[in-house]
Amino acid sequence: MGEVGFKTSGMTVNWIGLWTIIRREVSRLLRVPIQAFIAPWVSALMFIFIFGYVVGPRIASIGGHKYLEFVLPGILMMNVVNAAFLQATSHVYFQRFMKNIEEVLVAPLSYVEMIAGTLAAVVFRTAATAIGILAIAAVFGGVKVVSLPEFLFWVVVVSGIFGLLGIVIGLWAKNFEQLTVLNIFFITPLSFVGGVFNTVAMLPPWLRWLAWGNPFFYFINGLRHSMIGFNEAPEPLGMVLSLTLLVILSVWVWRLFSVGYGLRE
Amino acid sequence: MTPALRVTDLRKVYRSGTLAVDGLSMTVEEGDFFGFLGPNGAGKSTTIHCITGIATVTSGTIEVFGVDAVKDYRKARALVGLSPQEFNVDVFATPVQIVDWVGGYFGIPAAERKKRIDELMQRFDLTAHLKKPFRALSGGLKRRVILARALIHKPRLLILDEPTAGVDVELRLDLWRYLGEMNRDGTTILLTTHYLEEVERLCRNVAIVAKGKIVRQGPTEEFLEGDGLEAAYLGATGAIPDHIAAGAA
Repeated sequence: MGEVGFKTSGMTVNWIGLWTIIRREVSRLLRVPIQAFIAPWVSALMFIFIFGYVVGPRIASIGGHKYLEFVLPGILMMNVVNAAFLQATSHVYFQRFMKNIEEVLVAPLSYVEMIAGTLAAVVFRTAATAIGILAIAAVFGGVKVVSLPEFLFWVVVVSGIFGLLGIVIGLWAKNFEQLTVLNIFFITPLSFVGGVFNTVAMLPPWLRWLAWGNPFFYFINGLRHSMIGFNEAPEPLGMVLSLTLLVILSVWVWRLFSVGYGLRE
Repeated sequence: MTPALRVTDLRKVYRSGTLAVDGLSMTVEEGDFFGFLGPNGAGKSTTIHCITGIATVTSGTIEVFGVDAVKDYRKARALVGLSPQEFNVDVFATPVQIVDWVGGYFGIPAAERKKRIDELMQRFDLTAHLKKPFRALSGGLKRRVILARALIHKPRLLILDEPTAGVDVELRLDLWRYLGEMNRDGTTILLTTHYLEEVERLCRNVAIVAKGKIVRQGPTEEFLEGDGLEAAYLGATGAIPDHIAAGAA
């Protein structure tokens, strides 16, 4: 035997450990490409085809934009949200279910590194999903990005928000059924009424409060503004609300990790 | 000299209210080969989980080479290797992936990791099974992967929770030899097992735990005096069957 004890990387940030969390999760995703990538691309293709190509030409332009251009940011945002949430819940829950979460718990990794690694894998999956959808939309001639920094801001921040929510659900769930609760009763309904297919002005006046009180409206509106410049709410308001949500969720998840909720016995 | 492991008044109450460890204290000196014995449900695995961070500590302190395993947990964990009782791995991953990922978590650079993995795969005769998913391996091979994973970062304190359960005689003998070599080279080993022969052969000191407390502790020779380790174990745990007790009387 050689010398006893490897030197671990610097105790400030375990970069190798952090990178390992990411590459391990990417490797897991590449084992299930149909579920992770192909499914959302096919779903987006159907939406783009029906709403952009079949229904779209029969709808007058919205704010001077073709219906496909208007609807694409909403479709993209729905898929980013789903990819982020599913990635985080499956990452956390499956590790708990198979108990290989213990490999991470016994290692010299901080809670921040564990969370950052999980979120980096979330961003990888949402980025791959988004790039695929943009490529599909490009075939139908519906892709515009007027502000790339703003576009990246919305994709990354929303990925972070739903990645963190996914971690919470992944820690809380006691069975596979519970993993889907938030998606079925919160994410899907709110994203559909958050302005994916219509403007707030199209809603009956008594229903508009639903849009203003719906966080998905700000996410979709922000992404739409970054892509086609169409805006129904003050841009800084959406950004501040999203960043606030991101910070609150980050602190919550860090707290859950530090007390070992759902992780440690 | 700073002990490799010092556990003081450890108490662990699960969220369900179950008291698993009740004021357990023990010290394992550096370089020791330490047997940690007790019946199922006595609190051995829970104690190990508290030491390694799998379980939270309700109260008490744990020091690994003088490092507080709760307050300074990252530094403490870098010093410990764990081979758990259960196969807690991604069953779809290959042996190389499993060991490589854990090496990464411990911050070992890629080149060094690769060299160490090659060494461990050869040491545990896993080279013919490198591309098979874990779930396709036999029980003995799975145990070897778990051991290789525990050793990837050359821990100073190696904790083995029933490492030879379900393992064939050849691997058991090979493993005993390897653990003996590691211990002679300076690795402190904490071993839990139900095979008392294993303890007699390998361990220099023994602690017996029952109902979450240490009920007897001392050098292995002390346990071997009189009726031997088995009788000492049964006596300490209060589990002497009537017919044995009657025979002894």
